[in-house]
Amino acid sequence: MTRVLITGIAGGQGQLVAQHLLTTGNGKYRVYGVDRKPWPGRPREIHMTVADVRQRKFEDVIRQVKPDAILHLASVRHFRVHPAVRHEVNVVGTKKLIEFAVEHGVGQIIINSSSYVYGALPDNPYYMDEAFPLSVSRTYPEIRDLAEMDMVATASSWRHPDIAIAILRPVNVLGPHLRSAIGKYLQREYVPTVIGFNPMLQFIHEDDLARAMVLTIAKRARGAFNVVGPGAVPLHAAIRELGSTAVPLPEFALRTTVRTFFRWGLYPFPPGAIDFAKYPCTLDGSNFAETTGFEPRYSLADIFADAHR
Amino acid sequence: MAKQRKPPRRRKAPAAEKIASKAERSLAKPAKKQSEGASWIDRFTPELIREIEEEVAERLARIPTQLNEFGYDPWGLDIKSIQSAMTFSVLLYRYYFRVEVFGIDNVPRGKVLLIANHAGQIALDAAMIGVATVLEAEPPRIIRGMGEYWLPTLPFVNEAMVRTGSVVGTPKNCRDLLAGNEAVIAFPEGVRGMNKLFSERYKLQHFGYGFMRLALSTDTPILPIAVVGSEEQAPGLANLASIARLLGMPAFPITPTFPLLGPLGLLPLPVKYRIYFGEPIHFRGDSDDEDAAIRKKVLRVKRVIQKALNRGVAQRDSIFF
Repeated sequence: MTRVLITGIAGGQGQLVAQHLLTTGNGKYRVYGVDRKPWPGRPREIHMTVADVRQRKFEDVIRQVKPDAILHLASVRHFRVHPAVRHEVNVVGTKKLIEFAVEHGVGQIIINSSSYVYGALPDNPYYMDEAFPLSVSRTYPEIRDLAEMDMVATASSWRHPDIAIAILRPVNVLGPHLRSAIGKYLQREYVPTVIGFNPMLQFIHEDDLARAMVLTIAKRARGAFNVVGPGAVPLHAAIRELGSTAVPLPEFALRTTVRTFFRWGLYPFPPGAIDFAKYPCTLDGSNFAETTGFEPRYSLADIFADAHR
Repeated sequence: MAKQRKPPRRRKAPAAEKIASKAERSLAKPAKKQSEGASWIDRFTPELIREIEEEVAERLARIPTQLNEFGYDPWGLDIKSIQSAMTFSVLLYRYYFRVEVFGIDNVPRGKVLLIANHAGQIALDAAMIGVATVLEAEPPRIIRGMGEYWLPTLPFVNEAMVRTGSVVGTPKNCRDLLAGNEAVIAFPEGVRGMNKLFSERYKLQHFGYGFMRLALSTDTPILPIAVVGSEEQAPGLANLASIARLLGMPAFPITPTFPLLGPLGLLPLPVKYRIYFGEPIHFRGDSDDEDAAIRKKVLRVKRVIQKALNRGVAQRDSIFF
């Protein structure tokens, strides 16, 4: 019996992984959860505590549950809070979580990072592997806390070789239960893009990502892993497939508009995000596939069809 | 301008013999389409365009690709884009540069690194080599270009480049393409070659070593290519480094027509292209060897290309015919 504690369990991805652990594990897993908000209608087998990972109460949960593995999904990805809050949750929170885990003998930690940590730069190759520098702060400093969180976890994995620390960097996630950043960007009636740019984007289905997380736990994988779905399409093809309409704007106009609208809370992304609509940030997932045997089940067409709902 | 004026002169080397006979065959092909007495402009009818489109489509259909359900390969290539880009390129190839190809049989199946001289301010040499391998090589092949780091920052150019099969020239991209059994073209002269001055024509500039390390680490044969003609298409009179820096460009060439005539001045002269495909060379050794050891191998490739260039330049009667 493996006791898995999921932080951020009430979120879309958290609920999915919890259910995957229960159904695919054949009773091998006991699932515990922590989240700031409750999960109404959760399966009875899941024991959940409402707490913030920054609170003392969270350490108490770890002490009581004594999990074998912690799946850390609780992080702030939106910009509705002050940057200090993002930093406190994503960087400090992750660091503390790892410290608690070390203290209470947790054997395995899975950190949910992101493909965005590599940054979208013009000289990015297709298929960056895990050794590539995390350069997102160069053009998109607003989410540098994600790269810091990733690096905090990587550094801890060196410091604590007895704990299997895995850092997952999944590509753009779409799915019916999820409001991911990329979903928020692509699934609106009119999607602003930059004239003359049409980078390739990789996608993964939320269900495949949940499976990838379960596999990481099952195989006790350690290290940083790119988690990649079935392939890539150009930005404009993705917009079309999702039933949205692209509005290509000159870069200068787009930056000015986005900056203004973002400041007034009318657009969810800061101007730094624009580079992800210009340059590729596509990853090589072969390392994860070899380590865990992961293979995506949803095709690109499935992903787009499913995200519609 | 008679096409089948005379067969190219025989060379001494046996490899060159083979090249020459192949050239005669390839020469005969475009000649077919010429009708006696008609003005040259009469050839450019919608039928000719349609014929080219059909021919290109038929050739491209024979090339194995790794397209996903939306028609893109893992590096963003899109066959439809190649097809439309090629119609124009074929017109350039047949009627503007009147490309003559030698030794096309040397293009192997499987992974290969094509190494050529680079000149002419805009990368038409790469395009013409690409047309040659699609139209003349057996089996036909799509050449994957390794673009300058500056190109992806240009609107429209970045997309055109990727859709037609090129990628940013990073080592990782090259390794991945070769692992996918693609034919990758690299110009070790880089910008040094592309923007060389007219006085430097057919003098190979410094060759970078990166391509050799990649060839060794991926165990890929190198196919040396000499392009004669491109080095006179846009004679560089000067290269204004300071303006280039200001504009964030790798170079800012001054030619007799550029920037005098604006973008129109980028139009190359109607030189005649001769493309010599050499025999593949399979180097072996440690890819992490010291520079001196790598340099020796690089110089061997450079010598082969320089020799072919010298021969090609010596054998032609005119830059334009």
